[in-house]
Amino acid sequence: MTQNTTYSPDLVTEPRQSVDFLGRLRHMAGWHTLAPPLVFFAMLLVVGIFNSNYLGPLGISIATASAAPIMLVALGQSMVLNIGSIDLSNAAISLFGAILLALALPPMGVGALIGVLLLLTVIGAINGAILAYTHVPSFALTLGTLGILQTAALVTSGSETIYVTENRELVTSLYNTKMLSIPLTFWLGVIVAVAYWVLLRLTVIGQTMTAIGKNESGALLSALPTKRAKIVAFAISGFTGGLAGLVIVSQAGSASASGLGSALLLPGIAAALVGGTSISGGLTNPLNIIFGALTVAFVPIAIQAIGFSAQAQSLVYGVFIIVVVALTTTRTRGLVIK
Amino acid sequence: MRQILSRSTNGPIGMIAALLALIIVFSLLNPRFGSVENLQNVLFQVSVPLIIVVGTSLVIQMGSIDLSVEGVMGAAGMAWILLSPNTRLETDIGVWAWVVALGIGLGFGLLTGAIYAKLKVPSFVVSLGTWYVGLGVAILLYGNSLLPSLTSETLARWPTRLTLGLPNSFWLAAVVLMVGVLISHYTRFGRGLMAIGNNEPIARSNGMPVDRYKIAAFSVAGTLCGLAGILATMQLGSGSPDIGFGQLFVVIPAAVIGGTALSGGEGGVLRSALGVFLLIILNNGLVLAGVDPDFQSGVFGTILLIAVIAVAWPQRGRLKVAK
Repeated sequence: MTQNTTYSPDLVTEPRQSVDFLGRLRHMAGWHTLAPPLVFFAMLLVVGIFNSNYLGPLGISIATASAAPIMLVALGQSMVLNIGSIDLSNAAISLFGAILLALALPPMGVGALIGVLLLLTVIGAINGAILAYTHVPSFALTLGTLGILQTAALVTSGSETIYVTENRELVTSLYNTKMLSIPLTFWLGVIVAVAYWVLLRLTVIGQTMTAIGKNESGALLSALPTKRAKIVAFAISGFTGGLAGLVIVSQAGSASASGLGSALLLPGIAAALVGGTSISGGLTNPLNIIFGALTVAFVPIAIQAIGFSAQAQSLVYGVFIIVVVALTTTRTRGLVIK
Repeated sequence: MRQILSRSTNGPIGMIAALLALIIVFSLLNPRFGSVENLQNVLFQVSVPLIIVVGTSLVIQMGSIDLSVEGVMGAAGMAWILLSPNTRLETDIGVWAWVVALGIGLGFGLLTGAIYAKLKVPSFVVSLGTWYVGLGVAILLYGNSLLPSLTSETLARWPTRLTLGLPNSFWLAAVVLMVGVLISHYTRFGRGLMAIGNNEPIARSNGMPVDRYKIAAFSVAGTLCGLAGILATMQLGSGSPDIGFGQLFVVIPAAVIGGTALSGGEGGVLRSALGVFLLIILNNGLVLAGVDPDFQSGVFGTILLIAVIAVAWPQRGRLKVAK
């Protein structure tokens, strides 16, 4: 928000400022890009010492499979967090998408997949359009759409579990096919992460989004298309939510309003934050969210491997989020933290 | 026109009108809605979120947010029931159970506030963490053994018993609400929170002890969540780590519908309380009108959407920054 770390190249020409700039750059680049993978590998090491069975092919495939939906939801969330907003509805979008997919796959096949992804992208874009044109705080807005989507999920599924009867192998193959003992669902997430990294770093619309997150008034006064960028960010969140829905269906072979994937919102936000995304906007690295999601998905496995009871899970989770974010958060002088 | 619109949607008059309209519609749909028993029932249901929303409003007024509600309620409620006459343990320490449970709430509030103000971690993240930690403490206290139920009749009956025609739990909530209103309107601390929400750098440069106020606000919110956890446990008659389930998604929409801006510096405790009444009456009325409970969250969501858009519409501007 009020964070004013400038990266303009002309700063380098001035010697006094360049030291400051380089130091800051080193600090940012070093800590922000290294912390999420370091945290993950440290945890992996600890688990390996206690119980090496978890690091075998089976352990890896279980951990990556459970990380896949969290990662996709977190990637969508990070694009919205990057513009300084939050999307509380994106996990509900993926659950609604999973139910629609399970309903539409038997009669329509691949057409269902395209149709559902399109619909969810539009739902995301509607969120963004309301935000951009009415200036409603995103937290309240998406809390409202969250409620509406929950009802939509319950009503379309009739509060029952929908099993994919025909065209089942079309989606389940995504989960059952493994490369390097990692299911394709996880690789899908990795591809999406790379694509979003390219979008944010190398395209105009991606840079516009980051500019909004860093300083929205500045972006507005520079005549950047802020409305369009916001709508695109929310549409991406909806689309990625749809991909997470696809992963849920391929993993379970069914979908229900209270089944697999019904509690993805908080792990998704946690994975984005552990992956180094700033909640106040303007700072995210989709590639690090891969490690953020792996860490979040690995915590329950780690707790069991070390020998804590499963009951200690939420406690460790909570302490973990606070510690990781406290270690990686930016503290510029004079910055207002909400 | 714009001014009238903004005043009526922002001020309590619009809220009260909406409440009255709801009451009239629901009374026409089902005559049982207006019965004395149902009104007592509504007041019984309203008391827990009413206590929480006082703390939530204080925190939102300064532009922060406290997500830890459900976790702190679980931890405090479990601690309270295990130290009161219950079916599992013989550790009845009487009034001290209240002190311990409220202390746990206060501790969580202090922790959240201190990490937020001193380590400068966004309150959203810290309180997300303390939510999980509180829940974890509650789950560990719950353990694997049998469900702890209240054995004391006096304690179990207390929330529903009527004093002057109103249930005791509502009286408790009303007292908390009154104290909350007095603090936020007539003390240096209460006005200070509003100032921080309005413009933190100015508040700071005027010599206001901003960090101390922030920690104090979270401590109040934590203690009140502890109290709400005790009351909810008493109402249920047995302990559960999930005692606060769903409360967060009542109190935050209630504060927002009441006109408390999430960016801080606006709104008030009383208006958030009206928001709680609106949501609980809506819920109760829909159930009595025979609406499928599946639609409940959808109706909540739609109303929240309409309310926030109505509040934000008159204040739109080309250069307005909305997060």
